[in-house]
Amino acid sequence: MSTTVLRPAGPVAAAARAAYPVAAVLALARFEARELSRQISVAAYLLLYTGYTAYVLIARGGGMADFPVLQDADRNTQTAPLLLAIALLACVNRAALRSRRCGTDEQFGGLVVRPWQRTVAHALSAAPYAVYTALVVAVRFGRQAVEPGAVGHGSLAELAVGPLSVLLAGALGVLLARLVPYSMASLLFVATAYVLAIYLSATTDLPHGVRWLSPVVSEPGETPVPSALLGRPAGWHALYLAGLCVLLPGIAVLVDGGRTRAVKTATVLALLATAAGAIGQAPGGAGALRAARARATDRPAALQTCVAHAGSAYCAFPEWAGQTDDWAAVVDRVRSAAGGTAATTALTVRQRVDARGHGDGTDIALAPSTTPGEVTVGTRWGGDRVPEFAAGVAGVLVAGREDAAGELCGARAVTAVWLAVGTDPHPWAAYRALRPAEDDVEAASVDTPTEPLTLSAAQSEVLAQLLRRPAATVAARVRAHWNELTAPRTTTAEVAHLLAVPPLRGTDNCDP
Amino acid sequence: MTTTVSATGLTLRYGGTRALDDVSLQLTRGVTGLLGPNGAGKTTLLRVLATVLPPDRGEFTVLGHDPGTAGGRRSARRTIGYLPQSPGFHPDFTAFEFVDYVAILKELTDRGARHREVRRVLEEVGLGEVRGRRMKRLSGGMRQRVALAAALAGDPGFLVLDEPTVGLDPEQRMRFRELVARRGEGRTVLLSTHQTEDVAMLCHRVVVLAEGRVRFEGTPAELTARAAGRVWRSTERDPGARAGWRTGTGDFRNVGHPPEGADLLEPTLEDGYLLVLDASRAEVTAP
Repeated sequence: MSTTVLRPAGPVAAAARAAYPVAAVLALARFEARELSRQISVAAYLLLYTGYTAYVLIARGGGMADFPVLQDADRNTQTAPLLLAIALLACVNRAALRSRRCGTDEQFGGLVVRPWQRTVAHALSAAPYAVYTALVVAVRFGRQAVEPGAVGHGSLAELAVGPLSVLLAGALGVLLARLVPYSMASLLFVATAYVLAIYLSATTDLPHGVRWLSPVVSEPGETPVPSALLGRPAGWHALYLAGLCVLLPGIAVLVDGGRTRAVKTATVLALLATAAGAIGQAPGGAGALRAARARATDRPAALQTCVAHAGSAYCAFPEWAGQTDDWAAVVDRVRSAAGGTAATTALTVRQRVDARGHGDGTDIALAPSTTPGEVTVGTRWGGDRVPEFAAGVAGVLVAGREDAAGELCGARAVTAVWLAVGTDPHPWAAYRALRPAEDDVEAASVDTPTEPLTLSAAQSEVLAQLLRRPAATVAARVRAHWNELTAPRTTTAEVAHLLAVPPLRGTDNCDP
Repeated sequence: MTTTVSATGLTLRYGGTRALDDVSLQLTRGVTGLLGPNGAGKTTLLRVLATVLPPDRGEFTVLGHDPGTAGGRRSARRTIGYLPQSPGFHPDFTAFEFVDYVAILKELTDRGARHREVRRVLEEVGLGEVRGRRMKRLSGGMRQRVALAAALAGDPGFLVLDEPTVGLDPEQRMRFRELVARRGEGRTVLLSTHQTEDVAMLCHRVVVLAEGRVRFEGTPAELTARAAGRVWRSTERDPGARAGWRTGTGDFRNVGHPPEGADLLEPTLEDGYLLVLDASRAEVTAP
């Protein structure tokens, strides 16, 4: 008998058949991605992630949100996708075990797409979710980046961490399925990883190299520092994560029998990338970073550029240079109600930050400046930071020096705080933002960028009276009685008299 | 007739057991029945021909492709539709999704064309109406048909069916026969079954496998002819018969070596099959 090669497929099947094997893998990945979207946990966390981001975008506005620091904003996109990543880990793992669980291995064993190619498809099935995460990250960060008050620089590598974490979760799910082919394995892994993450986050003295093996490495503390002082090896970390995203499925595919040259090459390259990333993100030049942070803390002037406005100098770290106009507007406003030489005295507004302890979980309060006429401004702006800065400016206008402002008493304290809040477009809001006390007339401390001012109950009472009167009227009296109001021996009762508010009941223990 | 599937010297061992022992056969277009007792090696042979299992020795071609090479195996797999004996199911998939999934594994990647193909094969097995129903909600017979539809997807030139009628009711079996007969027109179908009547009704060729070896290869008529003059009727069970059973008329139908002057009956394919098996047992036990 003769053997003849026959053309087997009919016209429909022939038209549908892939020209390249990779097309089948991609089609399968698309199929698996759609199946993932039907898993309750994935759908729920996807919805939660989207909803949370939408809420952040819609509900934000006003306050410090209008003045985002982009080198921190990029990092803030990293933790939100983690729940989605965990859901994907479990569901991709379950999907990769489906054939084994349902007994279809034999059925599919004789099909064109090999088991290892199915493994590739499972790993790729997380890719649309990583792309979606990247889109959400881009929208969230982009929204902040286009804020007129945005300062600093975002890092593409930091922005990539969220999407890469999602992709890595899928890769991990696939690898677990191949190494430990039981559904419980992924749940145990997630639980173990969670406990480990809690431990890692609580143990701040872990070696740097160990902390950075985690996909997301947060920096405790809220005070932004110039991006050059962050000391985050973001690029290396992104390379480390990207390497893992290929390495883990690469190992899974090799275990599954896909020992083709392309798979081996990709796995080896991924291993090199992962190793390079892990080594690169290990601390190198930590001493230089510490020195740079100390320089920025102790001698910020060397790193700053200053601009002049109405006789005063405004000195900012380069990334904050765009905020000097906002600072100047506050200085002008506060000074507009001041009298005597304070109305024209040249001030130096100096941006300062304590960068020494950045990343170790402590936000250290800045010590007041000892330089006459120098006012401190921090690295956050907007919201409560504006009246706080105004209080700092007013303290220097009244006391002459920032380190003396914390000890203001009697009339000077009342005058300083009124200058700060009485000239504000929303005086009561500013006043209440400055003094976190329940009652407007009880004793309280008033926040500034450095040390707080202190208000006694009597001073608070006078201030409350002043704030109920038209600002222009009070400002005229302040200017007219400037010398008395800023004299160290003027009492709170005398302030009431000078500014024409009802006399105090009793005496003020703050009076000199 | 043109040979479409050709196997020579296929041998496969499971530990110390020789599941296939130098199996050679030639398949042509049409439906070929594969008969044999349990443990004869039928499923192993089908798995080898479906390229699920590689043989220890021997070679075979499927529609001209040699599965012994990587490229040939890939080409051969594009032509094969395989329905295993106990197909698995993904319970959360719908019938459509399950067949669609298998179609992707067969490299049918053009989404529109693939979906048309999936609808077509589901219609062909009579499940067009329930294609949106989840597998876990389908009856056993329906699931079997979904698995058959999956095997049919891509219009394979070589269809390997391992006991596909197990669990089907008589009506479903009749429909199944219609379907397989249609498929056998212009394509090669290898049907493993214990149902000799399926073979008698569907197959143009039949292979009998026993103890891992081919004991018969020919047409159903030739297999039936093996029993010519060896089936007889008697009022009592003939002790010399290889097999004998009381029929509905009360008489005994005996298969074996009839005595002189026996009342001979028209043989069936099953009679021929029994005699082939009997001969193979005798061969195995012969010193």
